Amino acid sequence: MSDPNPSIAIAAPVLPVAEARASRLTELARAAWPVILVALIAIALWYALTATVYKGKGFLVPSPQEVAAAVGENAVSLLLATSVTLKEATLGYLLAIAGGISLAAILSQSKLLERSIYPYAVLLQTVPVVAIAPLIVLWFGYNDLSVVIISLIMSLFPIVNNTLLGLRSTSRNLTELFTLHKAGRFTAFRKLRLPAALPHIIAGLRISAGLSVIGAIVGEFIIGSGNAQGGLGVQIVFAQGRMYTALLFAEVIAATLLGFFFFLVVSSIGRMLLKNWHESALGQ
Amino acid sequence: MNPRGVSIALRGVAKRFDNGLQALGPIDFTLRAGEFVSIVGPSGCGKSTLLRIVAGLIGASAGECRRAAEVETAFVFQEAALLPWRNVERNARLLMELEGYKPEVYQPRVAEALRLVGLAGFEKAYPHQLSGGMRMRLSLARAIALRPGLLLLDEPLAAVDELTRDVLQEELSALWQQSGFTGVLVTHNVHEAVYLSDRVIVMSPRPGRILDVIDVPFAFPRAPELRASAEFARLTGEVTAALRRPQYA
Repeated sequence: MSDPNPSIAIAAPVLPVAEARASRLTELARAAWPVILVALIAIALWYALTATVYKGKGFLVPSPQEVAAAVGENAVSLLLATSVTLKEATLGYLLAIAGGISLAAILSQSKLLERSIYPYAVLLQTVPVVAIAPLIVLWFGYNDLSVVIISLIMSLFPIVNNTLLGLRSTSRNLTELFTLHKAGRFTAFRKLRLPAALPHIIAGLRISAGLSVIGAIVGEFIIGSGNAQGGLGVQIVFAQGRMYTALLFAEVIAATLLGFFFFLVVSSIGRMLLKNWHESALGQ
Repeated sequence: MNPRGVSIALRGVAKRFDNGLQALGPIDFTLRAGEFVSIVGPSGCGKSTLLRIVAGLIGASAGECRRAAEVETAFVFQEAALLPWRNVERNARLLMELEGYKPEVYQPRVAEALRLVGLAGFEKAYPHQLSGGMRMRLSLARAIALRPGLLLLDEPLAAVDELTRDVLQEELSALWQQSGFTGVLVTHNVHEAVYLSDRVIVMSPRPGRILDVIDVPFAFPRAPELRASAEFARLTGEVTAALRRPQYA
């Protein structure tokens, strides 16, 4: 009894920290090169197109070097616009995280509650955001608040939905175990259901990361004209009006990178939280 | 080290599901304090239901299940039912933590339980790093740390390989002999039932009733080689025959 049988007492070896860090860097390089290769090919094709079919038609498809020049000339306003959108989307996203997880936690407490409220959460998702955005602006004014709210609405549903799914997916045995040992509703939530739901919650957050930026830009489109130095959405409308297509390209790229940045941040936080236990984060 | 196992009297215990299906019973049986009893029976005969009634997880629709004293009860499932986000040490203390024990009480007990199941030194490992056998050991340690007067086991060894199963049976038996809890094991494995138990309860197909109770006379501790003896084979044969016996008796 004192000595474990060696044939069955074999644990997976745990890598030393430094070694793990080094192998993570080489792994990153290994994972990144195909992505970089595709980007280079895409830029080359883009260049080829603008040098042939769209030669002299920079107002339709500007060349890479024209876009680069536009970025250089408008660096300050691009950065400013990006930071405005970043601020709005971040606020909307954080509110959606807090609201979405809380709402799902409340709904998961009772079947009746879930049946009565959940359909409206679905409605919130099926109402086209572009259609209610003007209404939001009407109610909350031509300001950042409206943009934040639109971003929040856009990113709320995947968080609610995935959190609910996660909170309902606790194994029956573990639930029984907690019942048998007299764990109250709150204890079971904190020590069992919430951590068990974490992988689902993070999946929801990853979907919503991009949506929050889309929501912010849609909001900016609507409030746009009233505001000289707005976010990327406002600047995109301006650039379009001036037929400054190279700048429009640069702004679209900035907006895309912003969503991607959100996604990366959430993904790495998720990986950190799940690193010891969940299949999706093991061996990464 | 443990409080003595508890004795439990089952009187006319039956279970009817909401859809009117009679699942179990009536069952009359007395578990003696500190004995180890196995329940064998065909699939769907309600033996897991019986175990859950004894645990107090579900209520019986008729009859009563009376314990001679209030004791800690621990339940071990077929799947180790561990929390994957907790390391070995924090998993092992879960039940004591839920029962409201203070760290100064559970820390030494958890350390002792982990030592007893051979997991000392693995405190910081996570469940995914453990083999199936080690996970089940951890599940046992988690139960033992509570110092239960009653330990209920629902096919805990069904999912581990043959070799590991034999070793774990021996370890489980040793744990029981040291700890003195009353043990009830539900299993499909007749050899396992005979090897571990004072008595083996043989149940009928649904609605599960007790067909036979077979005494296993071997003294404890039982050597692993006991499984190869003629007397052991005779007893497993007897249990198997009871399982197959037509039930118009």
